[in-house]
Amino acid sequence: MVSEPIIYASVGVGLSVFLSVIGASIGISISAPAIAGAGTERPEIVSKSLIATILAEAIAIYGLVVGLLSIFRLTSLTAADTDIAFRIFASGLIMGIAAIAAGVAIGTSGSALASATAEKPELFSRAVVPLILAEALAIYAFVAALLLVI
Amino acid sequence: MLRDTIVHLLRDNFTEAKVRGKKRFLLERQQLQSLTEFKSQAEVIGFLADSPYGPELSKLPDSVSPAEAERTIGESLARTVENIEASAKGKVRQFIIEYRRRYDARDLARLLVFKLQGRPWEDYATTRSSLGTLSEKQLRKLYNIENPRDLIEEMADQTLEGRLENMQLESPSPDKAALIRDIIVGWGDERFYAYASNELTGRDRTICIPIIGSAIDLGNISIILRGKLMGLADIRSHLVPVYWKLDAKTLESLLTAEDIQQTLDRIGAHRYYRRILSGSRQKYDETKSLAFMEVLAREHFAKLSHEIFLGIPYNIGVILAFLVLKDNEARNLSAVISGIDAGLLPEQIRPLLAT
Repeated sequence: MVSEPIIYASVGVGLSVFLSVIGASIGISISAPAIAGAGTERPEIVSKSLIATILAEAIAIYGLVVGLLSIFRLTSLTAADTDIAFRIFASGLIMGIAAIAAGVAIGTSGSALASATAEKPELFSRAVVPLILAEALAIYAFVAALLLVI
Repeated sequence: MLRDTIVHLLRDNFTEAKVRGKKRFLLERQQLQSLTEFKSQAEVIGFLADSPYGPELSKLPDSVSPAEAERTIGESLARTVENIEASAKGKVRQFIIEYRRRYDARDLARLLVFKLQGRPWEDYATTRSSLGTLSEKQLRKLYNIENPRDLIEEMADQTLEGRLENMQLESPSPDKAALIRDIIVGWGDERFYAYASNELTGRDRTICIPIIGSAIDLGNISIILRGKLMGLADIRSHLVPVYWKLDAKTLESLLTAEDIQQTLDRIGAHRYYRRILSGSRQKYDETKSLAFMEVLAREHFAKLSHEIFLGIPYNIGVILAFLVLKDNEARNLSAVISGIDAGLLPEQIRPLLAT
């Protein structure tokens, strides 16, 4: 029979991976159409603007890393390791929720970046800053989740 | 409001980013001003070779008439709008179709005036807007109707019939032709306003209504001014019964003004329109024409459109703002080409430009 700590830890792994993928898909699905739309008029900005979709994809990778590290801990988990199980659960929750928030932020700021760059290409270096700051939100959660898991 | 923003983010992002890309190619104020310095139409067309008008203008022969050049610019505008419409979905697509229907009203106004003036179909066909949704076949069919009242009945609805009911239509003078045009264009704007009021919601509506509403108000002011100029007794029946910033009290004071100068003075004191129509009394006294009204209105719409581009990007206002700016640019270019062809000096052409 599966012990309760393992269930909590498994849910944590699931949350980390699943919610991060959702966050990444939100970021990509909002920013990519804007990049494509701007690219129809100014093809030269597409490669630069793709940074938004790459950063959105990175969110899924953070979630996956937290998930994998949690799985490594999960294999050695016993029924008495309740605290570790809760830490894995908490790390998954933190990573997952932050990934969704960062995904929305990257999507909207990436979309705005593409639109702004299409209109005024010289704005790229400044318009990219909010995008990086949005990515930083996911990195904060990633670091916290790692500290909880390791 | 949140729902609208999410819909724009997920569905209209492509179109809105595309529009911003296209906005980059709009001519700057300085470029337009410098175009007035050119000595010939060929130089203007040469300057526009690298612009979005280039592909169409390059096909024209060297000895092209200003009317043909203007028509080509109109076709380029239509191609741009069709391109945006093709990439749009849902509400944005419907919005663009409704916007294009405004051009139907302009086409119908011109058609009626040409018909009343007894001019041939061929003359009309060259001035027809490429942006309207009515086909050439439909317009030709309308043009073949002999009785003007039957023509109005066929082309429009009872609303417009009522607005033109008390007017003697036969052989209109230039002022009356302009009044008929204003009434029909106002009817088209009224349809667009009704669409925006009823179908748009949240921020979409809040951002679009100032442009659409002030178009109706300025159209009504123009009808009142022309009515005063012609000494019409019953101007009220020709007005669009929709008001945005023109309240009933102001409207009444405009209608009861003794002459056109007093009307201009009164509108010059209005809390909203004084900014837009400032100096209109002086302009009228100098030119004895109401042509400046159209330029002032376009300047106002362009200003509102620029403000929309500075605001929150995820709304339908961005599309409307671009369409307004693009239309304004096409009209400015037409004014430059016609002005140069007529031998006007740069300082005479510049007041015709709304920048």
